Amino acid sequence: MAVRPQPRAAVTRLAAFAGLMFALALGLDALADAGLRRITTSKFGSLNRVMSGAVNAAVVVNGSSRALVHYDPRVITRATGLSAYNLGMNGVLTDVQLPMLQAYLRHNTGTKLVIQNLDAFSLKATKPGEIYDPPLYMPYLDDPDLYHGLSAIDPAVWKWRHIPLYGYTVEDTRFTWARGLLAFAGVQPPEDYVDGFNPRRLSWTGDFEAFRASLSTGLSYPTDAKAMAALEQIVDVSQAAGAKVVLVYSPEYAEAQSLVVNRREIFAAFEALARRRGVELWDYSDSPLGMQRNLFYNSQHLNADGAALFSEQLAQRLALPGITR
Amino acid sequence: MLFNSLEFALFFPVVCGLYFLSPASWRTPLLLLASCVFYMAFIPAYVLILAVTILIDYVAGIYIERVTGRPKRALLWVSIVATCMVLFVFKYFAFFTGMFVGFAGLLGWQLSEPALGLILPIGLSFHTFQSLSYVVEVYRGRQAAERDFITYATYVMFFPQLVAGPIERPQNLLWQFHRFHDFDYARVTSGLRRMAWGFFKKLVVADRLAIFVNDVYGSPQNHNGLQLTIATVFFAYQIYCDFSGYSDIAIGTARVLGFRLMENFDRPYHAASVSEFWRRWHISLSTWFRDYLYVPLGGSRVGPGRRWLNILVTFGISGLWHGANWTYVVWGLLNGLYLCLGWVFGPMVDRAFRVAGLSEDSAVRRGVLVTTTFVLTCLAWVLFRAESLDDAWFIYGHLATDWDMRALGTESFGTGQFVPAVGAILALELLEHANLRYRWARRVPSLPTVVRWPIYAAAIFVVVMFGVYRSSQFIYFQF
Repeated sequence: MAVRPQPRAAVTRLAAFAGLMFALALGLDALADAGLRRITTSKFGSLNRVMSGAVNAAVVVNGSSRALVHYDPRVITRATGLSAYNLGMNGVLTDVQLPMLQAYLRHNTGTKLVIQNLDAFSLKATKPGEIYDPPLYMPYLDDPDLYHGLSAIDPAVWKWRHIPLYGYTVEDTRFTWARGLLAFAGVQPPEDYVDGFNPRRLSWTGDFEAFRASLSTGLSYPTDAKAMAALEQIVDVSQAAGAKVVLVYSPEYAEAQSLVVNRREIFAAFEALARRRGVELWDYSDSPLGMQRNLFYNSQHLNADGAALFSEQLAQRLALPGITR
Repeated sequence: MLFNSLEFALFFPVVCGLYFLSPASWRTPLLLLASCVFYMAFIPAYVLILAVTILIDYVAGIYIERVTGRPKRALLWVSIVATCMVLFVFKYFAFFTGMFVGFAGLLGWQLSEPALGLILPIGLSFHTFQSLSYVVEVYRGRQAAERDFITYATYVMFFPQLVAGPIERPQNLLWQFHRFHDFDYARVTSGLRRMAWGFFKKLVVADRLAIFVNDVYGSPQNHNGLQLTIATVFFAYQIYCDFSGYSDIAIGTARVLGFRLMENFDRPYHAASVSEFWRRWHISLSTWFRDYLYVPLGGSRVGPGRRWLNILVTFGISGLWHGANWTYVVWGLLNGLYLCLGWVFGPMVDRAFRVAGLSEDSAVRRGVLVTTTFVLTCLAWVLFRAESLDDAWFIYGHLATDWDMRALGTESFGTGQFVPAVGAILALELLEHANLRYRWARRVPSLPTVVRWPIYAAAIFVVVMFGVYRSSQFIYFQF
């Protein structure tokens, strides 16, 4: 029969086991971080290049998923002769785009132009607990711009940084940690990014029809002061880094525009900002591209064909004297 | 406070530490204080509701024991009505007034629905039933009235089982508060193992399946028959793992502190009939309804017609206990109907198996019966999970149509998520089967430390790394 330990010894044992678990969690967390930092492909590879200071592009596109799938840096480079990179990320609102741009500018040099993509939801602030895809940021929480920027949105971000594995487990359901471990073993995810650009070869999904049918009184996007301040700061930090700024509202499916009941108010805010900061605002929402459903895969996002056409139009305008020359 | 929260991960070790370091006389008050903290983490003011029901039933218990005859019966009813009134106001007021207003509308009277705007206190149905079982048992003379208010309050509020059971009987739990529970390493680690198993069920199985189920049942019209079918099977496992996982954590938590709670589940999806299912599912509630409703109604000692009625009443009320919605009532009635039909067709089914040469020990016979019971249970779960009877009707009509293998995933649950989801279900079945056959859970503690600790570590990391932590609340909290 097994000898039962005395209470003091038993508590010591339990504490030793808990300590061992904590140490293992720390190790696994560090391994996942290190693995994710080694990824050279996909969204992780793109972010890794940004955070390791390997981009140093002259033209930088910043914004949400619309920026990510709309702006082809290769086309911009071809037209302007300047290196370009796309910082767009899925699911990020303006207040998350700001720390990403700050981190980019901290780690990279030579930025001459920042193209800030605008969306109908650009003036919406991220709520605590709603930062999209948190594991993407886990390996970089030591970056002060990123950490403070994210903490300002969600005060619980300290848990991501200081509680081992918290960010990879509580904040993620897609096993990003496993991707990190695989990368540590040399397995890279498939490459679907080109200079930060993620073209989507998709056709119209039909989600828009269901979405439109679900709306009885139209759609009103919030206009939060915090988001507006973040947009102002994006202009400020870009100009402080010596870069020009162009605000670009990239094409949007025309039928979707009529659903947004406060569209005029949102655009008035964009125009006021452009006037205040002395930057240009290029509105492509009335572009003929927006009338062609075959160039979109949903109401907000151009597919690869649409992105190629839009990037070409934008690049030609960028190449005109006064912007990049 | 949720078991699967960071707060509980801090709260529980602190409570355990204080509990085992405290002298005997401090321990029950400490547990009461801890239970108050635990409960007040939801809506602090609602602890007053609990205090009122505790006070009513505490006083009622003492007086019921003192008097005899009609006053005794009257006191019992005063206590039952007062306790149930709280439940009615918070849980059923809107449901019944809505029904009344609807009925009045049919008669041409236009009434407006009064709205109390109350939020249902968490676990109200559970501690109400636990309180009721106490006064009934005192009335029946099978339990001495508890004189110590702190002890009685702790019995009702004991934090491990306060919000989702098991619904304890006073004979099983109350006396344990008068015992001194020493720190016992074997018991503590056994409790921790049971908690880990509960967390596996909840976080690794239930909460991952919930992502798919929520998407599909949130808008059944936007999903195809295959998705509806998978979501229904997933929900069967989700609710089992969610609720039995909670029970495991509750039993384990109590065991660490030295208390023994009743078992609440016994592999229900391995039942070979619906009646067996109900002997294995939510045992503390099933036996509660059996002892305090079905048997007093006459149970099975009456004619077939009355017996049917007793079953349907019991299951109908059981459905209503789960929620103030017709979907729950119909779910309960459907289960009652299953049982009644089982009595009618059971002998015929037995004869058919005998004719086919399948004895009672036959694995094929059991397999057929277990599968049939599982399918019937899943069909009933549609009502339980659907947001309305219309949705349930839509799902029934589309389960077998438009199976599109290329459109399996949903907005939040990509096709790749099926691997961990189905893997978790298989792991659950495999581990439960292996434990039944080889009793591995009992063998692990006797292994040498160098083998045992890596097993524990691996188990913990499976829960930590494969768990889902975002859809946090337990399903049964809402009841």
